[in-house]
Amino acid sequence: MTPASPRRAAILGGNRIPFARQFGPYANASNQDMFTAALEGLVARTGIAGERLGEVVGGAVIKHSRDFNLTREAVLGSSLDPHTSAYDVQQACGTGLENAILVSNKIKLGQIESGIAGGVDTASDAPIMVSEKLRRKLLKINRGKTTLDMAKAALAIRPGDIGIATPANTEPRTGLSMGEHMAITAKKWGITREAQDELAAASHQNLAAAYDRGFFDDLMTSYLGLARDQNLRADSTVEKLGRLKPVFGKGEGATMTAGNSTPLSDGASAVLLSSEEWAAEHNLPVQAFFVDGEAAAVDYVHGDEGLLMAPAYAVPRLLARQGLSLQDFDYYEIHEAFASTVLSTLKAWEDEDFCRDRLGLEKPLGSIDRSKLNVNGSSLAAGHPFAATGGRIVASLAKMLHEKGAGSRGLISICAAGGQGVVAILEGA
Amino acid sequence: MPQQETFSTAPSLAKVFVRAAVAGKKSGSTLPTSELVLAGHKVDRQHLMDYQRLCGFGVDDVLPHTYPHILGFPLQAELMARKAFPLPLMGLVHVENTITVRRSLTSDDVLDIAVHAENLREHPKGRQVDLVTEAIVDGEPVWSGRSTYLARGRGNPDAERGAQAPSMPQGVAAAQWSLPGDLGRQYAAVSGDVNPIHRHALTARAMGFPKAIAHGMWTYARTLGALGRSVNGPSTSHVWFKKPVLLPGKVDFVVDRTQSPVVAGLRATRKPETEHLVLTLDAAR
Repeated sequence: MTPASPRRAAILGGNRIPFARQFGPYANASNQDMFTAALEGLVARTGIAGERLGEVVGGAVIKHSRDFNLTREAVLGSSLDPHTSAYDVQQACGTGLENAILVSNKIKLGQIESGIAGGVDTASDAPIMVSEKLRRKLLKINRGKTTLDMAKAALAIRPGDIGIATPANTEPRTGLSMGEHMAITAKKWGITREAQDELAAASHQNLAAAYDRGFFDDLMTSYLGLARDQNLRADSTVEKLGRLKPVFGKGEGATMTAGNSTPLSDGASAVLLSSEEWAAEHNLPVQAFFVDGEAAAVDYVHGDEGLLMAPAYAVPRLLARQGLSLQDFDYYEIHEAFASTVLSTLKAWEDEDFCRDRLGLEKPLGSIDRSKLNVNGSSLAAGHPFAATGGRIVASLAKMLHEKGAGSRGLISICAAGGQGVVAILEGA
Repeated sequence: MPQQETFSTAPSLAKVFVRAAVAGKKSGSTLPTSELVLAGHKVDRQHLMDYQRLCGFGVDDVLPHTYPHILGFPLQAELMARKAFPLPLMGLVHVENTITVRRSLTSDDVLDIAVHAENLREHPKGRQVDLVTEAIVDGEPVWSGRSTYLARGRGNPDAERGAQAPSMPQGVAAAQWSLPGDLGRQYAAVSGDVNPIHRHALTARAMGFPKAIAHGMWTYARTLGALGRSVNGPSTSHVWFKKPVLLPGKVDFVVDRTQSPVVAGLRATRKPETEHLVLTLDAAR
């Protein structure tokens, strides 16, 4: 059990811009532009313009080196009091949720009264790097003290050195793309193509239904002409998804397609958290409480575990600390990096051997009620701008729990590159 | 009622300038009564983004304080290039500008932009005229601008000078900006204002300037952009253009927020006594 927490961290609301596909409407928008827009929408909706918050924590997975102070720059470009401090965090796809953990912890400890957690990513406005050989030679030219030094160094550049590189969705230590890693895990757990396509179709249908009943009206600000997530296909069906060719994995057993994998996307999100006192002072209703969070990592490098399986380890640790079982939740938000990620994780929790050998549990965590899973859609439909996904989920889940009523519970699970995972529990207010 | 002339697309500034350059001498003491209207203008998002980037505004769906001006400027130029307009377009100096934003405008707003000339008057250094631009959404006036131009010439030393510029904020620069040599060409590409004095040192020299000079409206917009996003909400600004900014060049941005309205300005970094512009801004924070 946790030591007695001095006070609770409340979630007051969130905002995001609709997510766009790579090279879509946000192709020319920078991380700073998008995060400022998401932040400003949240500031406007909650009426906190001119307020000095405890902190704003953001970040991006793909970031230009010139954006070292990305979040602080966004704060300065917003209507918040410029005396609001800010910093960037990067924990791959776990960034947004990790930021919410950081802000909520500071609130619980009494270090801050209020804060915004969020994140942003662009797969379009990506930094371009020159080849490593060329980079080293250019740095040498730059170090030259005299024109002659510089000219000599410049002469060392060969045509073959010239090349550009953009960030790739590839694990540096294995050289495998995330999809290729996931294909190994999906095969190991025997995740079928049909099950993946069903989950993907449900994601689109659930997200479309959520839009139709206005669920996102107070969670989103339109941006650059986009009012809904661009990737959403309201008419998606298992039949249509079934026609796509596999893109990850090889041969007969390949099951992962562009339809049951998340597309590269652009977008930003932000969530406002505070103490209950601060919320009352500002007349902002509390939607949910940020109960607890946990991160885990697995050794995917040596084949010991699948790249995206860390949440399978983080959740049982969090449940044990909170004295809860996997079935004690009204909603489950399991980030759909790939449909097979969600399905492998669920299967692992049902598996006696995995739960005993890997998690050290006497009996499996068991199954969840699938009707409580990603009920308003998730990343397969919405898209997944890496660092923005955490804020999307926290804001949506907080609203769902508020609608469900006080004491309702939600579980968040987000897998991340590098074999990491970040998970959290929210409670409705 | 003035006679309205409606345009569905803005006149080409390049053509207007050519027409003005070959036009004969202008004279007279009355202004054309026409009101030129660009009707149903839908904001081009790419154009808006290019403008926001170049002028230091955030890239989002909110129209910058100065944005409707560049939509109306081709109409201003068209009106001033006409025979019935008593002053020569190419010799006019933009000396002052005021803008009032009545409500925050977004890229979804469909704008009617109406321009007319008024208040032709004597000035100690020549004659001045105001070009008034109104932006209207669904019949509601949402934005207005007043651009004051001076035609140098035989002036009347006893003439009214109008509201005097406040003094420039003193002290250290809040920021220093290095303005590239091609800034005039960049702004010309976005604004359509292809006046040769902004484009290149050679063309500027032909017009009597030692180097290309930055567009006044760029310096105005960039200064407002540095004052925070409140400028794009309900607000009023008033700028006085003083000495042109030569390109390439380095300028100091100075601001005094203790005054109400806020006073900000640009001065030359190397010669701080050279003041380029000073403006006041009255905005809800």
